[in-house]
Amino acid sequence: MILLTDIGKSHGTRAVLSGITARFPRQSLTSIIGPNGAGKSTLLMLIARLAEPGSGRITLGGADIARISRAEYARRVATLRQFPAIELRLTVEELVAFGRFPHNRGRPTAEDRRATDEAIAFLSLDTIRKARLDELSGGQRQMAFLAMTIAQQTHCLLLDEPLNNLDMRHALRIMQALRSLCDDLGRTVVAVIHDINFAANHSDQIIALKDGRLHSSGTVDQVVTEAGLRDLYGLDFHILPRPHGRLCDYFTPKGEAG
Amino acid sequence: MTGRATFALTAFGLALLALAFVLQGAAADPVWLIPRRLMKLAAMIVGGCAVALSSISFQTVAGNRILTPAVMGYEAVYLLLQSVLVVTLGASGLTLWGGSGGFLLSILFMLGYSLTLDRWLFRDGRADLWMLMLVGLVLTMVIGTVTQFLQLRISPGEFAIFQSAAQISFERVEPWRLLVSTILFCVICLAGWRGLPALDVLALGRDQAMSLGIDHRRAVRRLLMLIAVLVAVSTSLIGPTAFMGIFVANLAYALAPGAGHRLTLPMGCAIAVGMFLLAQLMVERLFDYRTTVGILVNLACGVWFLALMLRQRSMI
Repeated sequence: MILLTDIGKSHGTRAVLSGITARFPRQSLTSIIGPNGAGKSTLLMLIARLAEPGSGRITLGGADIARISRAEYARRVATLRQFPAIELRLTVEELVAFGRFPHNRGRPTAEDRRATDEAIAFLSLDTIRKARLDELSGGQRQMAFLAMTIAQQTHCLLLDEPLNNLDMRHALRIMQALRSLCDDLGRTVVAVIHDINFAANHSDQIIALKDGRLHSSGTVDQVVTEAGLRDLYGLDFHILPRPHGRLCDYFTPKGEAG
Repeated sequence: MTGRATFALTAFGLALLALAFVLQGAAADPVWLIPRRLMKLAAMIVGGCAVALSSISFQTVAGNRILTPAVMGYEAVYLLLQSVLVVTLGASGLTLWGGSGGFLLSILFMLGYSLTLDRWLFRDGRADLWMLMLVGLVLTMVIGTVTQFLQLRISPGEFAIFQSAAQISFERVEPWRLLVSTILFCVICLAGWRGLPALDVLALGRDQAMSLGIDHRRAVRRLLMLIAVLVAVSTSLIGPTAFMGIFVANLAYALAPGAGHRLTLPMGCAIAVGMFLLAQLMVERLFDYRTTVGILVNLACGVWFLALMLRQRSMI
C-alpha cells in the first residue's frame, strides 16, 4: 500500500500541490482525475520518485520511499510517463526487455526472457514483437511501452495518462489490461486518467484533484456524483446508470440539447 | 544480426587499411619507417577511439544526435588553455609544460568544464536541445575570441607552436605521451565497461531510465567525467577534431540501426580509426603532404554535418 501524508510541492513560488493525503490500497486500480493543471501528473511523478516532494511523506508498505535505493525501488514500482521517447529504433521485443533491467542490470537470463515473453503475450503483442517502434502507430507504441512496464514485474505500476491519444479500441484494451493486472496478477495500479467514463467504469478507487488540492477521494460511487463532478470540472453532468456501469454525459450541457 | 556482420566487415576493412598504411613502400627503409608508422597507427587508434566513445556516449547523455563534446566547446576550452600557457610561459614553457604538466592540466580543465556543464545544463535532466546548441555555439565563439586575443600577444614562433597544437596531426606524437594517453584510455574503458548496459537504458530518456532504477544524476555526472578525460586524451594527442565526432557517431548508428552501445561504440571506434588512416594515406600518397589530415577530415565531416542538419531539421 502506498500512503501519502500531507504532500506539498511548489515550482518557484507557485504551489502545485498542497496538503495531499491519500492512500492507494494493494491490488486495486486507482484513477487520479481532475482538470488540466490540477497537479495529477506531478503527484504521480512524486510517487514515482521522478521529482521530490517539497513537504510531506510518501511510504510504500510502511517504508519512506526516499530511503529506498533507486535500484530497489525499480523492482517494486514501475512508471510509465506520457510521451515516451519515440525516435528509438528498437524493436518491440528489445524495448520490453528493458523492463528487466532492474532485475538483471543488463545481463539477461532465461527467467528474464520468460518475463519478457509473458508481458508481450499479456498485451497480445506477439504479431508485432519484431517490429521497430518508429514503424508502429501511436497506440501500438503505447502498448509496447506498457508491456515494458509490465515486464518489470513490480507490485505497483504508475501510469501517466496511458490512454492519451489512443483510439477507443486501444484505450479499452489498455484499461482491460490494467484491470486484469489487478484482478488476475494482484498488482496495484495507479493511473492518471482524463476520460471520466473510463475512470468511472474501470477503477476501484478514484482520487480527484483540483488546483493542487485533494478535491475528493473514495470509491467510484462516492466520487462520481453529479454534484461532485460539477464542482470538480465546472461542467454539468448527467450520470446515466447502465447495466454494467455508468455513463457520465457532459457532451450536451443543459439547455443546449435538442 | 546484420549489425554484427557490418561490424565484422568494417573491422576487416580497417585491418587491411592499417596493414596498407604500415607496409606501403616500407621496403625502402623498414627499420626506420615501420616503428614510426606503428606509433602513428597507435595514436590514431587511441585518438580515434577516444573521439568515437566520447561522442557517442555524450549524444546518449544529451539525448540527441547533433551534440558532441566538440560542439559543446570542450575543444575550445583546450585551445584556450594552450594559448594561456603560451602567453604566460612562452614557447619554452609550452614545450616544457606541453609535456606532462600541460597534459594533466588540460585533463583538470576538461573535468572542470564537464562539472560546469553538468551543474548548469543537465541539472534537472531536461536540457533543451536548442538551448544546449546555443550555449555550445556561444561558448565556442567567446572562447575562440579570447584565444585569438591572446594569440595577438605572442610572437610568430610561439604562434607556430600553438598552431601545431590546434590542428589534427599524427606527426607530433611522442612516445611517452602516447604511453600516458594509452594508459589513461584503458583506465577509462575499464571504468566505463561496467556502465555499458546502463548507457542503453539512459538512451530511453531521463524519466524512463530513472523508473528502471538508474540514479540518473549520478550516472550523467560520472559519464561526463569519463567523457572529459577522453576528450582531453584525444585533443592533446592528435588535436581538435571538430565535427568528426558527429560524423563518426551518426555513421555508426546508420550502420548498426537500433543496436545497443555494445555494438555502436566499437563500430564508431572502427569508423574513426579508419577515417584517420584513410586521410593520412591520402595526405601521404595522393596529396604529397600539400594538405593536412585535419583539413580532409574536417571538410568531409563538415559537409556531413550540414547535410545532417538539413535532413533532420524536422526531426530534432
